[in-house]
Amino acid sequence: MFRFYGGQVVKKGTYWNLSSGESIELEHEKIRAGNRQVRDLKVPTTGIFILGPISGLLSICLLPLISLLIGLMLLTRTAAASSEEAQMCLGCHSDKNLTKQLDNKEVLSLFINGNEFANSIHNAIGCAGCHMDISMENHPQIKKVKSKKEYSSDASKVCTMCHPDEQLRKKPIHSSLMTKATCVECHGSHSISRMAAQKAGVKENQYCLTCHRSKLSMTMKNRESLSAFVDESALRSSVHGNLQCSDCHSGFSKTGHPVKIFSSRRDYSIVTSDICRKCHTDAATKYEGSIHYSVLKGGDLKAPACTDCHGGHSVARATKDKTLGLISCNKCHGGMKSSYEASIHYTARIKGVENAPVCSSCHNAHDVKVTAMTMKIKDACLKCHKDAEKIHKKWLSNPPFKLASFAGLHFDAVACAACHSTDAGRGIYLGLYDRKTGKSFPEEDVLKLLETESPGLMGKMDTNSDGSIDAREIWNLFKQLYKKGATTTFIGRMDVRKGAESHQIAGKAKAVRECEKCHRPDSEFFKDVFIVISKADGRPTLFDAKKEALNSFFSILPVSKFYALGSTNVKLLDILFIIAVLGGIAVPIGHVTLRIITSPLRSLRRMGKGGKK
Amino acid sequence: MKKIYLHPIPIRLWHWINAAGFIILIVTAIQIRYGNIVNLFSFETAVDIHSWTGFILIGNYFIWLFYYLLTGKIKIYIPPIHHPVEFFKKSIRQAKFYGYGILIGDSNPHHSTPDNKFNPMQQISYLMIMVLLIPVQIITGLLLWDPKLFSAIVNPVGIQIVDIIHVLLWIFFSAFIVVHFYLATLGHTTFAHIKAMFTGYEEEEEHEHSH
Repeated sequence: MFRFYGGQVVKKGTYWNLSSGESIELEHEKIRAGNRQVRDLKVPTTGIFILGPISGLLSICLLPLISLLIGLMLLTRTAAASSEEAQMCLGCHSDKNLTKQLDNKEVLSLFINGNEFANSIHNAIGCAGCHMDISMENHPQIKKVKSKKEYSSDASKVCTMCHPDEQLRKKPIHSSLMTKATCVECHGSHSISRMAAQKAGVKENQYCLTCHRSKLSMTMKNRESLSAFVDESALRSSVHGNLQCSDCHSGFSKTGHPVKIFSSRRDYSIVTSDICRKCHTDAATKYEGSIHYSVLKGGDLKAPACTDCHGGHSVARATKDKTLGLISCNKCHGGMKSSYEASIHYTARIKGVENAPVCSSCHNAHDVKVTAMTMKIKDACLKCHKDAEKIHKKWLSNPPFKLASFAGLHFDAVACAACHSTDAGRGIYLGLYDRKTGKSFPEEDVLKLLETESPGLMGKMDTNSDGSIDAREIWNLFKQLYKKGATTTFIGRMDVRKGAESHQIAGKAKAVRECEKCHRPDSEFFKDVFIVISKADGRPTLFDAKKEALNSFFSILPVSKFYALGSTNVKLLDILFIIAVLGGIAVPIGHVTLRIITSPLRSLRRMGKGGKK
Repeated sequence: MKKIYLHPIPIRLWHWINAAGFIILIVTAIQIRYGNIVNLFSFETAVDIHSWTGFILIGNYFIWLFYYLLTGKIKIYIPPIHHPVEFFKKSIRQAKFYGYGILIGDSNPHHSTPDNKFNPMQQISYLMIMVLLIPVQIITGLLLWDPKLFSAIVNPVGIQIVDIIHVLLWIFFSAFIVVHFYLATLGHTTFAHIKAMFTGYEEEEEHEHSH
């Protein structure tokens, strides 16, 4: 109605050319000049003055909408272009075998999963959006890359073009990770999705592993580096495979990742071991009664915590072969390994004997106690060798009766290993005990009563400073403690000289069986004597003592509870024996001599009484 | 010569078992204690013999004890405590005899009868031995035989103390048995007392008895 074309008969009026914007005033009807490309709009001049402002106003109001529509139109065009570009790239990079050998001989896969990329958040920006040196027209063939790490690092630099450091540092975990890991290590490269979508789509463990399956590390205050890598397969096959990460790592979740700082790797192990207590309260309680915990608490950070034996994410299930009870101990107590491997116990284990003992069989797994100079290990032996007393009493008895108590007496005073550990050195260990309670008299109390420190204890006891404690010095110690209200006693026990030797248990055929080995004044086993004063946690301190400490008059009272027939003879009694026997013999000899000398007197007397003349 | 029946069969039996047992115990004790210098037999054998003998002597002790308690003859061991001065004087007189009178030909002031078997010195020493020393030796021997079985007694006392008591008595008995054997030869003949301990009859010269 209002539009007219060139060549058409038009009436009188004002016509506006839409292309040139010119107005043509026709004073009478005539044919419009030009062809059909010429388009005119017939609008009265007054109408222009009304419609102009109205359309201007509408344009201003609709400008954002118009802009958005224009933007969408452009984006669609770009996406179309990107899609076209991506398809071109994927022409080659969808080949799973497409690789590149790096300078360090590592092989980098150049395969890109087209579907994943199409669904990724970066699909819209296309390949060249990140790989700016590559376009449909240009693909550099020679690009030197030293290593995967360098490649990963370089690739991550591109991310910062859109995601600047300032933005990333707003999140604490990003801030701490930025120096440790590259973007692609956590987020991947061609399959990056929105974080919200990523979180919603995966389970917690998988979410955590998004980053922790990478070779992440964390730096301690002392600059030590600790790997934060989690071996997914080890985690899955561990006894904790069905747990969520946050079950142990409380405070961490898909929405929160506190940044924790530890003094050292050791500090981290100790602190994180406390996590285990949440579920394993029994084991934790036992552990807190162990020498390991005591040593740790005492400041020796080398002492093991849970993860040192059980590992972090690869906690194994308890198995019948009890391998954990051997391997984990060997980490620190490697010195015992060779002697254990020389034992009948190890031989049995190799042969597949199910209950062949490992370390934890005797020393326990969590409530590991000090066994040196104690009866605890004997109890461990008897756990398996239940009929040991019965078997020993067959030959270790005192007639006329065969009583288990006699064998038991030997068990109390002699460590099993002292007889059953072939070629071990033996010694006599005189432990200090509270006479009233029968419990070990702790070093801490001795130090307090003697008003000294641990390094000065030997000096306090060894009054003649000859480096070895004699009987008189034992008596002096006993007396000093008694004067300060402590009634003590030294109880002796035979044990092997070195801890390692106690593990090389041989078969019974090789065990010491001859009584004379111990019950002789010159017994080799009684030559080395030690005073043992144990700390409250059981750790013993050994002080050299003289052999005569076992045979002296001075040690009768302090060592009144230790006696071995033939080996702890009090020398004074031997002297008395000689005097008494010689005295006994002297009486008849002297008397007979006197009778011989006085026989003439008796003859004379008999003659005086009418005897022979 | 007058014959007095001094030693009934149970006592003779007890005496000779005791004598042999004492010697065996003393010798095996030497082997046990001085295994480094004495090699009569192995330690194990010495302990076995010592323990067996010890138990035999415990049984033997009860032969003595029951005989004297059941017959009432235990009184021959008991000094006349109601006459202490007289007993003391008799003891001095007996000591004087062994130390001096015997040398100059004095006759023994004591004349044994079944009711007054021991001279005052024998009486006091045998009483001590039979009522105190042997029981103590038996008890300490038992405690040492199996200290764990008797731990309720051994532990509070201290096994070394128990051993020292046992060894001290062993020392005493070792010296005693030498002197005892010598004194046994001091009858009217060297073997008179020893023979009497076999036959039961002690011979006594008639004229000595009349004094």
